[in-house]
Amino acid sequence: MQLFFEQLLNGVAMGAIYSLITLGLALVYGVMRILHVAHAAVYTAGAYVGLYVFTMTGSLLLAVPAAMAACALLGTAIERLIYTPLLKYPPFVPLIGSIAVFLALEEIFRLVGGPYILSFPAEFPFPGITVRGVVISPAIISIYAVSAAVLLLLWFVVTKTELGLAMRATSQDREIAGAMGINSSFTISMTFVLGSAVAAVAGILVGIYFNQVYPTMGAVPAYKCLALIVVGGLGSLPGAVLASLLLGVGETLLIGYANIPLPRDSLAFIAMIAVLLWRPQGLLGNR
Amino acid sequence: MNDLLLRLEGVSRHFGGLKAVDDVSFSLTRGEILGLIGPNGAGKTTCFNLISGVYAPTKGDIVLEGVSTAGFPPYRMAALGVGRTFQVVKPFSTLSVLNNVQVALGLKRYGGVLSSLGPWDTKASRKEALEILEEVGIGHLAASPSGQLPLGNQRRLELARALALKPKLLLLDETFSGLRHEEAALLSKLVLGVRARGISVLLIEHNMKVAMGLSDRLVVLDHGRLLAEGKPEEIRSDPRVVEAYLGKGASAHAS
Repeated sequence: MQLFFEQLLNGVAMGAIYSLITLGLALVYGVMRILHVAHAAVYTAGAYVGLYVFTMTGSLLLAVPAAMAACALLGTAIERLIYTPLLKYPPFVPLIGSIAVFLALEEIFRLVGGPYILSFPAEFPFPGITVRGVVISPAIISIYAVSAAVLLLLWFVVTKTELGLAMRATSQDREIAGAMGINSSFTISMTFVLGSAVAAVAGILVGIYFNQVYPTMGAVPAYKCLALIVVGGLGSLPGAVLASLLLGVGETLLIGYANIPLPRDSLAFIAMIAVLLWRPQGLLGNR
Repeated sequence: MNDLLLRLEGVSRHFGGLKAVDDVSFSLTRGEILGLIGPNGAGKTTCFNLISGVYAPTKGDIVLEGVSTAGFPPYRMAALGVGRTFQVVKPFSTLSVLNNVQVALGLKRYGGVLSSLGPWDTKASRKEALEILEEVGIGHLAASPSGQLPLGNQRRLELARALALKPKLLLLDETFSGLRHEEAALLSKLVLGVRARGISVLLIEHNMKVAMGLSDRLVVLDHGRLLAEGKPEEIRSDPRVVEAYLGKGASAHAS
Protein backbone atom coordinates (compact mmCIF):
# COMPACT_ATOMS: atom_id res chain seq x y z
CA MET A 1 0.00 0.00 0.00
CA GLN A 2 2.89 2.30 0.84
CA LEU A 3 4.32 1.76 -2.64
CA PHE A 4 0.94 2.42 -4.18
CA PHE A 5 0.66 5.80 -2.51
CA GLU A 6 4.19 6.74 -3.44
CA GLN A 7 3.44 5.81 -7.04
CA LEU A 8 0.21 7.78 -6.92
CA LEU A 9 2.10 10.84 -5.68
CA ASN A 10 4.62 10.41 -8.47
CA GLY A 11 1.84 10.02 -10.99
CA VAL A 12 0.12 13.23 -9.91
CA ALA A 13 3.49 15.01 -10.04
CA MET A 14 4.07 13.80 -13.62
CA GLY A 15 0.51 14.85 -14.46
CA ALA A 16 1.10 18.30 -12.99
CA ILE A 17 4.21 18.73 -15.12
CA TYR A 18 2.37 17.53 -18.23
CA SER A 19 -0.34 20.04 -17.51
CA LEU A 20 2.18 22.89 -17.32
CA ILE A 21 3.44 22.03 -20.80
CA THR A 22 0.04 21.17 -22.25
CA LEU A 23 -1.58 24.41 -21.08
CA GLY A 24 0.79 26.42 -23.27
CA LEU A 25 -0.22 24.32 -26.26
CA ALA A 26 -3.91 24.66 -25.44
CA LEU A 27 -3.59 28.45 -25.06
CA VAL A 28 -1.77 28.79 -28.37
CA TYR A 29 -4.20 26.48 -30.14
CA GLY A 30 -7.03 28.60 -28.77
CA VAL A 31 -5.90 31.97 -30.05
CA MET A 32 -4.13 30.85 -33.23
CA ARG A 33 -5.47 27.40 -34.18
CA ILE A 34 -1.91 26.21 -34.58
CA LEU A 35 -0.45 22.95 -33.24
CA HIS A 36 2.61 24.40 -31.56
CA VAL A 37 5.00 21.44 -31.69
CA ALA A 38 7.97 23.73 -31.07
CA HIS A 39 6.53 24.42 -27.61
CA ALA A 40 8.44 21.36 -26.40
CA ALA A 41 11.67 22.98 -27.60
CA VAL A 42 10.77 26.08 -25.59
CA TYR A 43 10.38 23.78 -22.60
CA THR A 44 13.82 22.27 -23.26
CA ALA A 45 15.28 25.76 -23.60
CA GLY A 46 13.79 26.54 -20.18
CA ALA A 47 15.63 23.58 -18.67
CA TYR A 48 18.94 24.62 -20.26
CA VAL A 49 18.71 28.30 -19.36
CA GLY A 50 17.62 27.34 -15.85
CA LEU A 51 20.54 24.96 -15.50
CA TYR A 52 23.09 27.50 -16.79
CA VAL A 53 21.89 30.26 -14.53
CA PHE A 54 21.74 27.83 -11.63
CA THR A 55 25.29 26.62 -12.34
CA MET A 56 26.56 30.20 -12.51
CA THR A 57 24.73 31.62 -9.52
CA GLY A 58 23.77 28.58 -7.46
CA SER A 59 20.32 30.07 -7.00
CA LEU A 60 17.06 28.59 -8.20
CA LEU A 61 15.34 31.84 -7.30
CA LEU A 62 17.38 33.48 -10.06
CA ALA A 63 17.34 30.52 -12.43
CA VAL A 64 13.56 30.22 -12.64
CA PRO A 65 12.74 33.85 -13.55
CA ALA A 66 15.69 33.98 -15.96
CA ALA A 67 14.46 30.84 -17.73
CA MET A 68 10.90 32.18 -17.80
CA ALA A 69 12.03 35.45 -19.36
CA ALA A 70 14.25 33.70 -21.92
CA CYS A 71 11.45 31.32 -22.91
CA ALA A 72 8.91 34.13 -23.12
CA LEU A 73 11.24 35.81 -25.60
CA LEU A 74 11.85 32.60 -27.53
CA GLY A 75 8.13 31.82 -27.68
CA THR A 76 7.12 35.25 -28.96
CA ALA A 77 10.00 35.17 -31.46
CA ILE A 78 8.64 31.89 -32.86
CA GLU A 79 5.18 33.43 -33.02
CA ARG A 80 6.30 36.65 -34.71
CA LEU A 81 8.87 35.21 -37.10
CA ILE A 82 7.28 31.88 -38.02
CA TYR A 83 3.59 31.55 -37.19
CA THR A 84 2.19 35.00 -37.92
CA PRO A 85 3.71 35.16 -41.41
CA LEU A 86 2.48 31.61 -42.13
CA LEU A 87 -1.02 32.13 -40.77
CA LYS A 88 -2.46 32.98 -44.18
CA TYR A 89 -1.65 29.49 -45.48
CA PRO A 90 -3.57 26.25 -44.75
CA PRO A 91 -3.01 24.90 -41.21
CA PHE A 92 -0.49 22.24 -42.26
CA VAL A 93 1.98 24.94 -43.35
CA PRO A 94 2.47 26.50 -39.89
CA LEU A 95 2.49 22.96 -38.48
CA ILE A 96 5.41 22.04 -40.74
CA GLY A 97 7.04 25.32 -39.78
CA SER A 98 6.60 24.40 -36.14
CA ILE A 99 8.17 20.96 -36.59
CA ALA A 100 11.09 22.57 -38.43
CA VAL A 101 11.62 25.05 -35.58
CA PHE A 102 11.43 22.20 -33.09
CA LEU A 103 14.11 20.14 -34.87
CA ALA A 104 16.33 23.18 -35.46
CA LEU A 105 16.20 24.16 -31.79
CA GLU A 106 17.06 20.59 -30.76
CA GLU A 107 20.17 20.81 -32.92
CA ILE A 108 21.04 24.17 -31.40
CA PHE A 109 20.76 22.68 -27.91
CA ARG A 110 23.05 19.86 -29.04
CA LEU A 111 25.61 22.34 -30.42
CA VAL A 112 25.52 24.67 -27.45
CA GLY A 113 24.95 22.28 -24.56
CA GLY A 114 26.62 19.17 -25.94
CA PRO A 115 25.04 15.88 -27.03
CA TYR A 116 25.10 14.35 -23.57
CA ILE A 117 22.91 14.35 -20.52
CA LEU A 118 23.69 17.13 -18.06
CA SER A 119 22.71 16.73 -14.45
CA PHE A 120 20.72 19.37 -12.61
CA PRO A 121 22.08 19.12 -9.08
CA ALA A 122 19.66 21.49 -7.40
CA GLU A 123 18.74 20.75 -3.83
CA PHE A 124 15.68 22.03 -2.13
CA PRO A 125 16.26 23.93 1.08
CA PHE A 126 13.74 21.85 2.99
CA PRO A 127 13.49 18.17 3.91
CA GLY A 128 11.04 15.60 2.64
CA ILE A 129 8.11 14.41 4.70
CA THR A 130 7.19 10.89 5.74
CA VAL A 131 3.50 10.27 6.38
CA ARG A 132 2.74 6.77 7.75
CA GLY A 133 5.74 5.37 5.99
CA VAL A 134 4.98 7.11 2.67
CA VAL A 135 8.01 9.18 1.70
CA ILE A 136 7.27 12.51 0.04
CA SER A 137 10.49 13.90 -1.40
CA PRO A 138 11.30 17.63 -1.49
CA ALA A 139 11.20 17.43 -5.30
CA ILE A 140 7.63 16.12 -5.21
CA ILE A 141 6.63 18.80 -2.72
CA SER A 142 8.15 21.47 -4.94
CA ILE A 143 6.44 20.15 -8.05
CA TYR A 144 3.09 20.18 -6.27
CA ALA A 145 3.54 23.63 -4.82
CA VAL A 146 4.94 25.24 -7.97
CA SER A 147 2.40 23.60 -10.28
CA ALA A 148 -0.49 24.57 -8.04
CA ALA A 149 0.76 28.16 -7.89
CA VAL A 150 1.27 28.37 -11.66
CA LEU A 151 -2.10 26.78 -12.44
CA LEU A 152 -3.82 29.15 -10.05
CA LEU A 153 -2.07 32.13 -11.60
CA LEU A 154 -2.96 31.05 -15.13
CA TRP A 155 -6.55 30.43 -14.10
CA PHE A 156 -6.66 33.90 -12.62
CA VAL A 157 -5.19 35.56 -15.70
CA VAL A 158 -7.44 33.72 -18.15
CA THR A 159 -10.73 34.05 -16.28
CA LYS A 160 -10.40 37.27 -14.31
CA THR A 161 -8.24 39.76 -16.17
CA GLU A 162 -9.02 41.81 -19.24
CA LEU A 163 -6.10 40.15 -20.98
CA GLY A 164 -7.78 36.79 -20.34
CA LEU A 165 -11.06 38.11 -21.67
CA ALA A 166 -9.25 39.38 -24.75
CA MET A 167 -7.66 35.94 -25.17
CA ARG A 168 -11.01 34.20 -24.94
CA ALA A 169 -12.63 36.66 -27.33
CA THR A 170 -9.75 36.25 -29.80
CA SER A 171 -10.09 32.45 -29.56
CA GLN A 172 -13.75 32.57 -30.40
CA ASP A 173 -13.70 35.06 -33.23
CA ARG A 174 -10.70 37.12 -34.14
CA GLU A 175 -12.63 39.41 -36.47
CA ILE A 176 -15.26 40.35 -33.91
CA ALA A 177 -12.65 40.67 -31.17
CA GLY A 178 -10.90 43.23 -33.40
CA ALA A 179 -14.13 45.15 -33.88
CA MET A 180 -14.49 45.23 -30.07
CA GLY A 181 -11.16 47.03 -29.79
CA ILE A 182 -9.03 44.01 -29.02
CA ASN A 183 -5.55 44.12 -30.53
CA SER A 184 -5.36 40.48 -31.50
CA SER A 185 -1.67 40.42 -32.40
CA PHE A 186 -0.76 41.85 -28.99
CA THR A 187 -3.11 39.36 -27.35
CA ILE A 188 -1.53 36.47 -29.24
CA SER A 189 1.97 37.58 -28.28
CA MET A 190 0.94 37.80 -24.64
CA THR A 191 -0.46 34.29 -24.93
CA PHE A 192 2.93 33.06 -26.12
CA VAL A 193 4.64 34.94 -23.29
CA LEU A 194 2.41 33.22 -20.74
CA GLY A 195 2.54 29.73 -22.24
CA SER A 196 6.29 29.84 -22.81
CA ALA A 197 7.11 31.13 -19.32
CA VAL A 198 5.07 28.28 -17.87
CA ALA A 199 6.88 25.78 -20.13
CA ALA A 200 10.18 27.07 -18.73
CA VAL A 201 9.00 26.24 -15.22
CA ALA A 202 8.06 22.74 -16.40
CA GLY A 203 11.49 22.29 -18.01
CA ILE A 204 13.30 23.18 -14.79
CA LEU A 205 11.03 20.97 -12.67
CA VAL A 206 11.61 17.98 -14.96
CA GLY A 207 15.34 18.70 -15.08
CA ILE A 208 15.56 18.62 -11.30
CA TYR A 209 13.10 15.77 -10.79
CA PHE A 210 14.95 13.37 -13.11
CA ASN A 211 18.29 15.14 -12.63
CA GLN A 212 18.64 15.22 -16.40
CA VAL A 213 18.81 17.93 -19.05
CA TYR A 214 19.51 16.87 -22.63
CA PRO A 215 18.87 18.15 -26.16
CA THR A 216 16.04 15.76 -27.03
CA MET A 217 14.20 15.90 -23.73
CA GLY A 218 11.37 17.65 -25.57
CA ALA A 219 10.88 14.90 -28.15
CA VAL A 220 8.39 12.83 -26.21
CA PRO A 221 6.49 15.78 -24.65
CA ALA A 222 6.18 17.39 -28.11
CA TYR A 223 3.88 14.67 -29.36
CA LYS A 224 2.47 13.50 -26.05
CA CYS A 225 1.16 16.95 -25.21
CA LEU A 226 -0.44 17.25 -28.64
CA ALA A 227 -2.28 14.03 -27.82
CA LEU A 228 -3.22 15.54 -24.47
CA ILE A 229 -4.86 18.68 -25.88
CA VAL A 230 -6.89 16.42 -28.18
CA VAL A 231 -7.91 14.22 -25.24
CA GLY A 232 -8.81 17.25 -23.13
CA GLY A 233 -10.76 18.91 -25.91
CA LEU A 234 -8.92 21.20 -28.33
CA GLY A 235 -8.46 24.61 -26.77
CA SER A 236 -10.12 23.65 -23.45
CA LEU A 237 -7.85 24.63 -20.57
CA PRO A 238 -9.58 22.62 -17.81
CA GLY A 239 -9.65 19.71 -20.26
CA ALA A 240 -5.90 20.00 -20.82
CA VAL A 241 -5.25 19.90 -17.07
CA LEU A 242 -7.63 16.99 -16.49
CA ALA A 243 -6.17 14.95 -19.35
CA SER A 244 -2.63 15.64 -18.13
CA LEU A 245 -3.35 14.58 -14.56
CA LEU A 246 -5.17 11.43 -15.71
CA LEU A 247 -2.30 10.54 -17.99
CA GLY A 248 0.35 11.12 -15.34
CA VAL A 249 -1.48 8.90 -12.87
CA GLY A 250 -2.42 6.37 -15.54
CA GLU A 251 1.13 6.00 -16.82
CA THR A 252 2.57 5.61 -13.37
CA LEU A 253 -0.03 3.25 -11.95
CA LEU A 254 -0.95 1.11 -14.95
CA ILE A 255 2.46 0.70 -16.44
CA GLY A 256 4.74 1.34 -13.48
CA TYR A 257 2.76 -0.25 -10.66
CA ALA A 258 0.40 -2.75 -12.29
CA ASN A 259 3.10 -3.78 -14.75
CA ILE A 260 0.93 -3.76 -17.83
CA PRO A 261 3.37 -4.64 -20.60
CA LEU A 262 3.00 -1.54 -22.73
CA PRO A 263 5.57 1.13 -23.47
CA ARG A 264 4.87 3.97 -21.05
CA ASP A 265 4.64 6.61 -23.73
CA SER A 266 2.00 4.70 -25.69
CA LEU A 267 -0.76 5.39 -23.19
CA ALA A 268 -1.27 9.01 -24.30
CA PHE A 269 -1.79 7.90 -27.87
CA ILE A 270 -4.10 5.02 -26.95
CA ALA A 271 -6.13 7.57 -25.01
CA MET A 272 -6.12 9.93 -27.97
CA ILE A 273 -7.34 7.23 -30.36
CA ALA A 274 -10.05 6.21 -27.90
CA VAL A 275 -11.18 9.81 -27.51
CA LEU A 276 -11.21 10.38 -31.26
CA LEU A 277 -13.36 7.27 -31.70
CA TRP A 278 -15.83 7.80 -28.88
CA ARG A 279 -15.76 11.43 -27.91
CA PRO A 280 -14.19 13.50 -30.69
CA GLN A 281 -14.83 16.77 -28.87
CA GLY A 282 -12.51 15.58 -26.06
CA LEU A 283 -13.17 15.13 -22.34
CA LEU A 284 -14.21 18.72 -21.68
CA GLY A 285 -14.48 20.13 -25.19
CA ASN A 286 -17.73 21.69 -26.30
CA ARG A 287 -17.47 21.50 -30.05
CA MET B 1 -18.17 71.69 -42.92
CA ASN B 2 -17.15 71.35 -39.32
CA ASP B 3 -19.55 68.51 -38.69
CA LEU B 4 -18.00 66.29 -41.33
CA LEU B 5 -17.26 62.94 -39.67
CA LEU B 6 -16.14 60.51 -42.33
CA ARG B 7 -14.95 60.92 -45.89
CA LEU B 8 -14.02 58.27 -48.41
CA GLU B 9 -11.76 59.73 -51.08
CA GLY B 10 -11.53 57.69 -54.26
CA VAL B 11 -11.31 54.45 -52.32
CA SER B 12 -10.62 51.23 -54.20
CA ARG B 13 -10.11 47.70 -52.98
CA HIS B 14 -9.04 45.01 -55.41
CA PHE B 15 -8.91 41.29 -54.75
CA GLY B 16 -6.65 39.91 -57.45
CA GLY B 17 -8.38 41.08 -60.64
CA LEU B 18 -11.68 41.78 -58.95
CA LYS B 19 -12.46 45.40 -58.19
CA ALA B 20 -14.74 44.89 -55.19
CA VAL B 21 -14.78 48.61 -54.52
CA ASP B 22 -13.69 50.92 -57.31
CA ASP B 23 -12.95 54.63 -56.86
CA VAL B 24 -15.76 55.32 -54.40
CA SER B 25 -16.12 58.69 -52.68
CA PHE B 26 -18.78 59.81 -50.25
CA SER B 27 -18.98 61.51 -46.92
CA LEU B 28 -21.00 61.41 -43.75
CA THR B 29 -21.77 64.24 -41.34
CA ARG B 30 -22.30 64.03 -37.60
CA GLY B 31 -25.70 62.76 -36.60
CA GLU B 32 -26.55 61.66 -40.13
CA ILE B 33 -28.06 58.32 -41.12
CA LEU B 34 -26.63 57.28 -44.46
CA GLY B 35 -27.97 54.21 -46.24
CA LEU B 36 -25.59 52.15 -48.36
CA ILE B 37 -27.60 50.17 -50.87
CA GLY B 38 -27.03 48.22 -54.04
CA PRO B 39 -27.56 44.78 -55.55
CA ASN B 40 -25.71 41.72 -54.24
CA GLY B 41 -22.00 41.90 -54.89
CA ALA B 42 -22.06 45.68 -55.22
CA GLY B 43 -19.26 46.07 -52.65
CA LYS B 44 -21.27 47.25 -49.66
CA THR B 45 -19.76 44.91 -47.07
CA THR B 46 -16.30 45.51 -48.54
CA CYS B 47 -16.90 49.21 -47.95
CA PHE B 48 -17.71 48.43 -44.32
CA ASN B 49 -14.60 46.32 -44.00
CA LEU B 50 -12.54 49.20 -45.39
CA ILE B 51 -14.02 51.73 -43.00
CA SER B 52 -13.68 49.43 -39.99
CA GLY B 53 -10.08 48.52 -40.82
CA VAL B 54 -10.52 44.86 -41.78
CA TYR B 55 -9.01 45.70 -45.19
CA ALA B 56 -6.68 48.48 -46.19
CA PRO B 57 -7.71 50.29 -49.35
CA THR B 58 -5.72 49.43 -52.48
CA LYS B 59 -6.06 53.10 -53.49
CA GLY B 60 -7.60 56.19 -51.99
CA ASP B 61 -7.99 57.41 -48.44
CA ILE B 62 -10.46 57.15 -45.59
CA VAL B 63 -10.58 60.20 -43.35
CA LEU B 64 -12.25 60.10 -39.95
CA GLU B 65 -12.47 63.43 -38.14
CA GLY B 66 -9.69 64.81 -40.28
CA VAL B 67 -7.34 61.88 -39.62
CA SER B 68 -6.30 59.61 -42.47
CA THR B 69 -7.07 56.10 -41.24
CA ALA B 70 -6.35 54.04 -44.35
CA GLY B 71 -4.53 50.87 -43.26
CA PHE B 72 -5.38 51.18 -39.55
CA PRO B 73 -6.21 47.79 -37.98
CA PRO B 74 -9.76 47.13 -36.70
CA TYR B 75 -8.90 47.61 -33.02
CA ARG B 76 -7.61 51.12 -33.73
CA MET B 77 -10.71 51.99 -35.69
CA ALA B 78 -12.81 50.76 -32.78
CA ALA B 79 -10.77 52.99 -30.46
CA LEU B 80 -11.24 55.96 -32.81
CA GLY B 81 -14.99 55.55 -32.55
CA VAL B 82 -16.12 53.13 -35.25
CA GLY B 83 -18.55 50.52 -33.90
CA ARG B 84 -19.96 47.88 -36.20
CA THR B 85 -22.25 44.92 -36.43
CA PHE B 86 -21.79 41.94 -38.72
CA GLN B 87 -23.98 40.59 -41.47
CA VAL B 88 -23.83 37.14 -39.90
CA VAL B 89 -24.44 37.56 -36.17
CA LYS B 90 -21.78 35.90 -34.07
CA PRO B 91 -21.93 36.53 -30.33
CA PHE B 92 -19.10 35.16 -28.18
CA SER B 93 -21.25 32.11 -27.61
CA THR B 94 -19.51 30.77 -24.49
CA LEU B 95 -20.10 34.10 -22.74
CA SER B 96 -23.37 35.37 -21.32
CA VAL B 97 -25.21 38.26 -22.93
CA LEU B 98 -23.93 40.64 -20.26
CA ASN B 99 -20.32 39.41 -20.61
CA ASN B 100 -20.51 39.91 -24.36
CA VAL B 101 -21.13 43.62 -23.83
CA GLN B 102 -18.41 43.76 -21.17
CA VAL B 103 -15.89 42.61 -23.78
CA ALA B 104 -16.41 45.89 -25.62
CA LEU B 105 -16.05 47.92 -22.43
CA GLY B 106 -12.37 46.96 -22.09
CA LEU B 107 -11.58 48.93 -25.25
CA LYS B 108 -9.20 51.45 -23.66
CA ARG B 109 -7.16 48.88 -21.74
CA TYR B 110 -6.58 45.91 -24.04
CA GLY B 111 -3.35 47.19 -25.55
CA GLY B 112 -1.19 47.51 -22.44
CA VAL B 113 0.61 44.78 -20.53
CA LEU B 114 -0.23 46.28 -17.16
CA SER B 115 -3.59 47.86 -17.95
CA SER B 116 -4.88 44.57 -19.37
CA LEU B 117 -4.09 42.71 -16.16
CA GLY B 118 -6.87 44.41 -14.24
CA PRO B 119 -10.14 42.58 -13.61
CA TRP B 120 -12.78 42.80 -16.34
CA ASP B 121 -15.83 41.71 -14.38
CA THR B 122 -16.20 44.70 -12.06
CA LYS B 123 -19.35 46.15 -10.55
CA ALA B 124 -18.93 49.27 -12.67
CA SER B 125 -18.61 47.31 -15.92
CA ARG B 126 -21.61 45.12 -15.06
CA LYS B 127 -23.68 48.19 -14.34
CA GLU B 128 -22.62 49.92 -17.52
CA ALA B 129 -23.21 46.81 -19.64
CA LEU B 130 -26.63 46.30 -18.11
CA GLU B 131 -27.59 49.90 -18.86
CA ILE B 132 -26.69 49.42 -22.50
CA LEU B 133 -28.63 46.15 -22.66
CA GLU B 134 -31.65 47.86 -21.15
CA GLU B 135 -31.32 50.64 -23.67
CA VAL B 136 -31.64 48.14 -26.53
CA GLY B 137 -34.41 46.32 -24.69
CA ILE B 138 -32.78 43.03 -23.67
CA GLY B 139 -31.77 43.87 -20.10
CA HIS B 140 -33.87 40.96 -18.83
CA LEU B 141 -31.71 38.53 -20.86
CA ALA B 142 -28.39 39.68 -19.35
CA ALA B 143 -27.63 36.35 -17.69
CA SER B 144 -28.68 34.16 -20.64
CA PRO B 145 -26.13 32.27 -22.69
CA SER B 146 -25.67 34.40 -25.78
CA GLY B 147 -25.51 31.50 -28.24
CA GLN B 148 -29.15 30.56 -27.77
CA LEU B 149 -30.84 33.93 -28.36
CA PRO B 150 -33.33 34.19 -31.20
CA LEU B 151 -32.13 36.23 -34.17
CA GLY B 152 -33.87 39.48 -33.25
CA ASN B 153 -32.28 39.54 -29.82
CA GLN B 154 -28.88 38.56 -31.21
CA ARG B 155 -29.09 41.60 -33.48
CA ARG B 156 -29.85 43.76 -30.48
CA LEU B 157 -26.93 42.24 -28.61
CA GLU B 158 -24.70 43.12 -31.57
CA LEU B 159 -26.01 46.66 -31.42
CA ALA B 160 -25.40 46.76 -27.65
CA ARG B 161 -21.80 45.57 -28.12
CA ALA B 162 -21.18 48.21 -30.75
CA LEU B 163 -22.73 50.92 -28.56
CA ALA B 164 -20.55 49.85 -25.63
CA LEU B 165 -17.57 51.13 -27.64
CA LYS B 166 -19.15 54.61 -27.35
CA PRO B 167 -18.83 55.07 -31.09
CA LYS B 168 -19.05 58.24 -33.11
CA LEU B 169 -19.97 56.19 -36.14
CA LEU B 170 -22.09 53.08 -36.12
CA LEU B 171 -21.91 50.67 -39.06
CA LEU B 172 -24.94 48.39 -39.30
CA ASP B 173 -24.54 45.52 -41.75
CA GLU B 174 -28.03 44.23 -42.69
CA THR B 175 -29.17 44.52 -39.12
CA PHE B 176 -32.80 44.34 -40.22
CA SER B 177 -32.69 41.34 -42.51
CA GLY B 178 -34.61 38.26 -41.45
CA LEU B 179 -36.52 40.13 -38.75
CA ARG B 180 -40.27 40.15 -38.31
CA HIS B 181 -42.00 43.43 -39.03
CA GLU B 182 -42.49 44.39 -35.35
CA GLU B 183 -38.88 43.55 -34.51
CA ALA B 184 -37.65 45.65 -37.41
CA ALA B 185 -39.83 48.55 -36.30
CA LEU B 186 -38.41 48.39 -32.77
CA LEU B 187 -34.88 48.28 -34.09
CA SER B 188 -35.59 51.27 -36.37
CA LYS B 189 -36.66 53.20 -33.32
CA LEU B 190 -33.43 52.27 -31.58
CA VAL B 191 -31.38 53.47 -34.52
CA LEU B 192 -33.22 56.79 -34.53
CA GLY B 193 -32.56 57.04 -30.79
CA VAL B 194 -28.86 56.44 -31.37
CA ARG B 195 -28.78 59.17 -33.99
CA ALA B 196 -30.56 61.52 -31.64
CA ARG B 197 -27.52 61.22 -29.37
CA GLY B 198 -25.33 62.56 -32.15
CA ILE B 199 -23.96 59.23 -33.36
CA SER B 200 -23.77 58.91 -37.12
CA VAL B 201 -25.10 55.72 -38.65
CA LEU B 202 -24.05 54.07 -41.88
CA LEU B 203 -26.31 51.17 -42.72
CA ILE B 204 -26.35 48.48 -45.34
CA GLU B 205 -29.88 47.42 -46.03
CA HIS B 206 -31.59 45.17 -48.53
CA ASN B 207 -35.09 46.07 -47.52
CA MET B 208 -35.72 49.23 -49.56
CA LYS B 209 -38.61 50.31 -47.38
CA VAL B 210 -36.46 50.25 -44.26
CA ALA B 211 -33.51 51.91 -45.99
CA MET B 212 -35.63 54.68 -47.50
CA GLY B 213 -37.55 55.21 -44.27
CA LEU B 214 -34.54 55.49 -41.99
CA SER B 215 -31.88 57.19 -44.05
CA ASP B 216 -31.36 60.89 -44.48
CA ARG B 217 -29.38 60.19 -47.62
CA LEU B 218 -28.56 57.12 -49.65
CA VAL B 219 -25.46 56.01 -51.51
CA VAL B 220 -26.02 53.43 -54.23
CA LEU B 221 -23.21 51.09 -55.23
CA ASP B 222 -23.19 48.82 -58.24
CA HIS B 223 -20.34 46.54 -59.27
CA GLY B 224 -18.05 48.32 -56.84
CA ARG B 225 -18.72 51.77 -58.26
CA LEU B 226 -20.73 54.65 -56.88
CA LEU B 227 -23.89 54.76 -58.96
CA ALA B 228 -25.91 57.49 -57.31
CA GLU B 229 -26.09 59.55 -54.16
CA GLY B 230 -28.94 61.61 -52.79
CA LYS B 231 -32.09 61.87 -50.72
CA PRO B 232 -34.38 58.83 -50.64
CA GLU B 233 -36.96 60.41 -52.93
CA GLU B 234 -34.29 61.30 -55.51
CA ILE B 235 -32.87 57.79 -55.40
CA ARG B 236 -36.28 56.17 -55.71
CA SER B 237 -36.90 57.87 -59.01
CA ASP B 238 -33.36 57.64 -60.38
CA PRO B 239 -33.57 55.53 -63.55
CA ARG B 240 -29.97 54.28 -63.13
CA VAL B 241 -30.83 52.86 -59.73
CA VAL B 242 -33.99 51.18 -60.93
CA GLU B 243 -32.01 49.70 -63.80
CA ALA B 244 -29.27 48.38 -61.52
CA TYR B 245 -31.82 46.62 -59.36
CA LEU B 246 -34.26 45.39 -62.00
CA GLY B 247 -32.17 45.17 -65.14
CA LYS B 248 -32.13 47.12 -68.39
CA GLY B 249 -35.49 48.08 -69.76
CA ALA B 250 -37.16 47.98 -66.39
CA SER B 251 -36.73 51.70 -65.86
CA ALA B 252 -39.16 52.41 -68.69
CA HIS B 253 -41.85 50.40 -66.92
CA ALA B 254 -41.04 51.70 -63.49
CA SER B 255 -41.35 55.36 -64.42
